[in-house]
Amino acid sequence: MMIESFLARATPAWMEMEDDYSDIVISTRIRLARNLDGYRFPLVFSENEALQVEQAVTHAIQDSPKLQERYSYFSIKDLTPLQRQILVEKHLISPQLAKKEQVGSMLLSEDESICIMVNEEDHLRIQCMTASFQLQKAYEEANKIDRALEGALPYAFRDTFGYLTSCPTNIGTGLRASVMMHLPALTLTGQMNQIINAMTRLGMTVRGIYGEGSENLGNVYQVSNQITLGKTEEDILADIQSVAEKIIQKERQARNKLMEKAELALEDRIYRALGTLTHARILTSEEAATCLSNVRLGVDLQLIDNIKATTLNECVVSMQPGFLQHYAGEALPPAERDRVRAKMLREALFLETMSKPTIGGKGEDSYDV
Amino acid sequence: MICEHCKQRNATVTVTQVQNGQKVEHHYCDVCASQFHPFHAEFKQEPVSIQQLLSNWFGSPTWQKVGEKQQAPPQQQTCPQCGFTYKRFLKEGKFGCTSCYDTFSEHLPKLFNRIQAGPQHIGKMPGARSNVFVIKKQIEDIRKRMKAAVDEEQFEEAAKLRDEAKNLEQQLQFEGGDVT
Repeated sequence: MMIESFLARATPAWMEMEDDYSDIVISTRIRLARNLDGYRFPLVFSENEALQVEQAVTHAIQDSPKLQERYSYFSIKDLTPLQRQILVEKHLISPQLAKKEQVGSMLLSEDESICIMVNEEDHLRIQCMTASFQLQKAYEEANKIDRALEGALPYAFRDTFGYLTSCPTNIGTGLRASVMMHLPALTLTGQMNQIINAMTRLGMTVRGIYGEGSENLGNVYQVSNQITLGKTEEDILADIQSVAEKIIQKERQARNKLMEKAELALEDRIYRALGTLTHARILTSEEAATCLSNVRLGVDLQLIDNIKATTLNECVVSMQPGFLQHYAGEALPPAERDRVRAKMLREALFLETMSKPTIGGKGEDSYDV
Repeated sequence: MICEHCKQRNATVTVTQVQNGQKVEHHYCDVCASQFHPFHAEFKQEPVSIQQLLSNWFGSPTWQKVGEKQQAPPQQQTCPQCGFTYKRFLKEGKFGCTSCYDTFSEHLPKLFNRIQAGPQHIGKMPGARSNVFVIKKQIEDIRKRMKAAVDEEQFEEAAKLRDEAKNLEQQLQFEGGDVT
């Protein structure tokens, strides 16, 4: 498949799935870090080593009889900076891989749920994503690929330290499990700092989804394990599972409390956000992120019923600078982006809010014809 | 002016960015400014690494004066495959190659006790490995017996053992292990 087909849509089809957790958990991600014996790590390796690693990995994946998925191969150096940025904005690849202009490459499954990054910080990073909260499913997928590749590639493994990685924070299992959550009520009620502190003590991290330092942008947080050695994969997943469940529970409590104590104020906040998104002519990414978060809360609390959560997920991705320029079909200076962003969101949400005919109102006319 | 971000506190910090030749100004309060970067800056940003932490924990303590009696510094070892020293590892926060783990193995349990749940891997292993491991052990064993047989001049027995070892080596190659 060509790269363009991966850039066209903001969110892949698998994101459309909804379950009991979809009101809070956006997606789940599993990443396994692996390296090959006999080659230095990407931090210091030669271009020749990089090439050999890339060829070994690509062949192993494409020739494996056990892997049913078909993978498209892309080299970072063949992509334009804008294409790279869009892949990062879609969370398909890491910002670190996007910077590996000489040696980095990736293998992407057709449905975009699996991305194998080559020569990022480690030789190999197997990344599997699911919608909502499905740690086990995502891990099983990653494990299947890992098992298929271990026969074909000389994995660096020691009985003491497990899978060897470039950074000591990934050593052992090489497993990082992340759950991406929308936590507006906990943020609004000022409970996030307390949660972040507690997480750190449990060997887990909570970060803003747009990277370090963007903590409360759009009220989206990523909870992931920090410990990779001295615990089994099952325990790591079980711990993340129970911690994430606790956070979900707390968020639900906070939402209920807000509805009890300040329904009107909350409703006002939500509808103001919707008004801004459907009418504003200039929107910065910060303001758009805040408004999208509020509208999303409105949808989750069933205060707004004519907008789909999946539409909002799409908006969150496509209002980022790279996507916006892709949508506009040209490079845009920042001020221009804010105008295009407002237009794009207006179109996406206005159409949606209008799509349902209002019964008993003006909409009646349309039935007459 | 009110902070653009929290929209609560007074804006005290002005952030001026030049993007694509255009000057953009943002006004934030000191709380938000200290923890906030807009989306697009993130793309170019280095992820916060653990190197400072590592140096702080395991590098020479700053209060240690030159001339004071010091332990033999572990920094002297050099990894044969990539040339990393322990000092370089502390500086980078990352290893250069897989051999670093063998070269610096004596210092690592202490480090992993600190940043991980423990120094020993108890998770998944490559599937073939258990097999390879067992076969390697068997070959080692046979070689020992072979040497003993040769020493005792029981050459027929030694030849039999040699063939046995050869078979296992072939099997090992089939399993994907190296025969060394």
